Parts: sequence; structure tokens; C-alpha cells
Amino acid sequence: MDFVASLGLILPELILSLTGLVLLLVAAWAGDKASSAISVAGCVALGACFFLVARTVCAGASGPDTVAFFGQFRADAFAGFAKLMIYAASGAALVVAPAFFGRTGQMKAEYPVLILFATVGMSLMVSAGDLLTLYIGLEMNSLSAYVLAAFLRNDSRSSEAGLKYFVLGALASGILLFGMSLTYGFTGTTSFEGIRAAVGDGLNGGTLFGLVFVFAGLAFKISAVPFHMWTPDVYEGAPTPVTAFFASAPKVAAVALATRVAIEAFGSQADAWRQVVIFAALASIVVGALGAIGQSNIKRLLAYSSINNVGFILIGLACATPKGVSALLVYLAIYVAMTVGSFVAVLMMRAEDGTPIEGIADLAGLSRTRPALAWCLAMLMFSLAGIPPLFGFWGKFVVFQAAVQANLVALAAIGIAASVIGAFYYIKIVKIMFFDEPADTIRGKSDWAHWALLAISAIVVSPLGYLLTAWLGKLADGAAAALFLLA
Amino acid sequence: MVDLEQYLPILIFLLIAGGLSAAFVFLPMGVARLTGTHNPSAEKLSEYECGFPAFEDPRSQFDVRFYLIAILFIIFDLEAAFLFPWAVSLDLTGWPGWITMMVFLFELAVGLAYAWKKGALEWE
Repeated sequence: MDFVASLGLILPELILSLTGLVLLLVAAWAGDKASSAISVAGCVALGACFFLVARTVCAGASGPDTVAFFGQFRADAFAGFAKLMIYAASGAALVVAPAFFGRTGQMKAEYPVLILFATVGMSLMVSAGDLLTLYIGLEMNSLSAYVLAAFLRNDSRSSEAGLKYFVLGALASGILLFGMSLTYGFTGTTSFEGIRAAVGDGLNGGTLFGLVFVFAGLAFKISAVPFHMWTPDVYEGAPTPVTAFFASAPKVAAVALATRVAIEAFGSQADAWRQVVIFAALASIVVGALGAIGQSNIKRLLAYSSINNVGFILIGLACATPKGVSALLVYLAIYVAMTVGSFVAVLMMRAEDGTPIEGIADLAGLSRTRPALAWCLAMLMFSLAGIPPLFGFWGKFVVFQAAVQANLVALAAIGIAASVIGAFYYIKIVKIMFFDEPADTIRGKSDWAHWALLAISAIVVSPLGYLLTAWLGKLADGAAAALFLLA
Repeated sequence: MVDLEQYLPILIFLLIAGGLSAAFVFLPMGVARLTGTHNPSAEKLSEYECGFPAFEDPRSQFDVRFYLIAILFIIFDLEAAFLFPWAVSLDLTGWPGWITMMVFLFELAVGLAYAWKKGALEWE
């Protein structure tokens, strides 16, 4: 494999990083008034990469032709599928931001640049074929994310979120590095292929510790219980467009990364990590559901909702079968649509003068004051709860089906039972919007970008989404097959 | 007979989780107990500054500009730390190694240009 072929495989990352560097200089010289032009340029770059990657996903790319830089990087269909979701979610984060920051004149030209750099990092994460590529991608994403969380410098909550995210993120990176160094020490290699060969005939004590520490570090990044403590605080404090970004793109990247480590590096020892994943899955579902019940802030509620959803996603990983990984990818795709939609709806909760509103009580009677917004939000909530005619149900269905087929009937049964708890608080929001006396505080106008994104995600989660199932399933199967072929 | 050994991974996982949460709760308490003023008296609590009464509050804020300089210093210090091993192993890495380092230097140069233009290098 020569360097030209390798460079061809990392073309999307090259485009994104070069665009990021150029836009960084533009941001410095042209200043904040150029921020909308920079956002547009960032969206164009993301769109170009989206179409570049879409080709490899549709072709179901796999095998040695997708390995770049001597196994450090994998541009297969699995990575491509995750990248499509990441690019789409990052694009959404760029589109919703100007209206939010612009109102108070805090739209800085660095915002799109940071999103682009975070996206490069996430691209590297999902394509990692080596523990070092993994770590570099993860840190590249995390460093941008810490700054983004603290983006409203004059807002104490935003600064607090940034600091909290930084301290706990650094701790998670430390745990991850510790696990990686143990793995390296006991297997003598950092490449996933080498680790796979080394652990083929059983784990020794040191590798086992390494494996568990790596998974603990990754659990921090995907905010799975018991490493979820930072999520509600960071999601509440960070500016809402940034929260929408955190809940979608980095989560996809971290889940895809955990899947790749589990299947590709430790695939032969599935029994060892499966119990960790099962525990994290069930704990996330239950804690996410119970924690959300008492919340009065919609962003905190959605943070718990994302913890809850990670639990369902991990059920797909626990199967450790191609079917399970395919179900995980389908669930992730639907989850991204629902999350982006819900956060756009939160962004549209504004007072008369445009100040953002985050209280759940302010949603009271929204169906009478703002019917369109209320109906879209109701649909998203029903979909998150997994009520059948909506698309959220399909994600849960494929995940549980894969679990049953992998002989994890008990896990599937407990998961289904626990998803009922989650339905309570989703439907409570619908009840507040449709049956309570109007609070009539949400009166602000929203711009067309928000309406467009809300409409797109509402259409995706609506029963119309089922038209996508065959196509989505085929792409996800191809992606999962690529992962298991290399493994 | 259930083979308990197969549950070692989940045990380690829970120990990490439990250990971390316990550390967050109890470590500050323990540290405060061991290092805090256990038996405070007025004399012990008074400040000491070379025999004088303190002139001013020691917890004065200092300028964020120091942090900026420190961060920029660390970046270029690390760059130098990378350059040494690169330079001595260039005969092994060849052109790919050379190009990679030039890309790295270029990226740092872009960062420096950004910081310069933003005024991070100006004291006043």
C-alpha cells in the first residue's frame, strides 16, 4: 500500500482539516463579521465529504483496499456509515448556531472552525485501526469540544460546563490511556489486528485489566452509566447548539469507536467484554429513565434521555454479531435524527424578545399557542419513547430482535420492560404541551433554518421514515459485514 | 458449581466505577482532614509574610495574559521535543518522515499566525 493510495483513502479528512486551517486564518483576518460566510464554507466542505464517503458506504467497501497507512486507518463501509451521521450532525450544528449566538452578538468566527476540527477528530476515531489513531482522534474531538462547551465566555453556566467537561474528560482520557498501556504491555502491539492475534487464545490478567480500563474510558465518552455523571451538567450548561452537537455527533463517533475496539481488537474474547457492555446497557436504560423523571429543565431531561438511548445502543453491541452491529447502526441513525430534532425544538423555545427558554413548565399549553412546534415536538417525544407508528420504534425493534437472535433473551426482555419507564417522562411532556393551561411564554419567532431542520427530522421520525428501512438496513448490513470481515 | 472467575471483567469494571465515585466523595474529606487546620487558633490562622503583617490579599487575581504566554510556550516547547527525535531518526524515516514533520510545522505556523493576528503575542 503506497502513500498515494493511503492519501486517497483519507481524502475526506484531508479536505476537512485543510478547510479548517484556511477558515482559521480567514477567521483571524476577517473577524467575526465573516462568521456566516465561514459557516457556509464549513457546510460546503462537510457536504463534499458526505458525498465522498457516501460512495464507499453504498459500495459496501471492505477488505485490504480500505486500509491506509499500514493498518493505522480504515476507510471501510463501517467507518463510512458512522461518518455520514457525523457529517450530517455537524452540519446541523453549524446551521442552527447563527440564530442562537447572533441575537446577543456572540457568534464568533471560531465556532464553525472548532466544529470542523472536532469533525476531523471524530472521522479519525471511527476509522482508527490502531490504539494511537484512536487516541489522537479522540483527543482532537475532545479538545474542540471543551472549548465549544465554554463558548459563551460571559455565561457562568457555560464556563462551568466547559470546566467540568474538561476535568472529567481528562480523567476519562487518563483511564483510557492506562488501559491502552496495559494492553500494549501485555500484547506487545497497539494495532487492532495485532491485539486480535495476541488475545486469540485467551486473555491473561494484564490484558483483561487493559480491556476493562479501555471500556471504562470509552463508557465516559458515550456517557454510559456508571460513567454518566457529567452529562446532565454539561448538556445543561453548554450553549444549546453545542449541546445538540454533543448529543449527536461525538456520541456516534464514540459508540462506533467502542464497537470497533470490541469487535476488531477483542472480537475473539466477546464473553469478557459482553458482561461489561450488558451491565452498562441495563444501568444506562434504568438510570437514564429514572433520572429524567424529576427534571424541570428540558436540556437536562434530554441529557438523561441520551443516557437512556445509549443503553439501547449498547444492547446491539452486546450481541457481538453482524446482526447486532447492523441494528446498532440503524438505531444510531434514527437516534441522530430524533436528537437533532428535539434540540432544534428546544432552540425554538424563545421568549418574545428572543431569550432562550429551557423550563419544561414553559411548554404548558404549547399546542394552543404554537401548534406546529407542539406537534413536531410531540412526534419526536413519542418516537423517542418508541411508540409503534413512529420511526423510533423501528430502532428499538431491530436492536431487540438482534439480541433475541443472539440468545440474549433475558437482556432483551429487561430492556423492553425498562423502556416503559422512559415512556413516562416523554409522554409527560406531551401531556404538558397538550392538556395544561397555556403558560404562553414561548412567543419568539424562529428562523427558516430551524423550521427546515425540525421539519426534516419530523418527517424522518414520522411513519414515512419506514420507507427508509430497507435501504438503511442494507447499508447497515454492508457496514457491519465490513467490520466483521476485517476482524 | 458456578465458575465465578468468568465474572472478573464486570468486577473490575464495577471496582473502577465504585472506586472513582468513592474517591470523588471521600478523597477531599480525607485530604481536608489531614491537611486542614485541625486545631485552629488565632495565631495559626494569621498570615505570615516575612515577619510583617500581610500587605494585601494573597489571592489576588493575575492577568489572563500569563496563561496565554504559558500555553503558547508549551506548544512550541513540545514542538522542539518532537523535532529532536525526528532529526536523529531522519535516515530511517526518509522522505515520508520529512514531509510529515513539515506538515506538522506548517500547522503550527498556521496556529501561530492565528494567535499573532488575534493579538495573543502583544502584552498591551
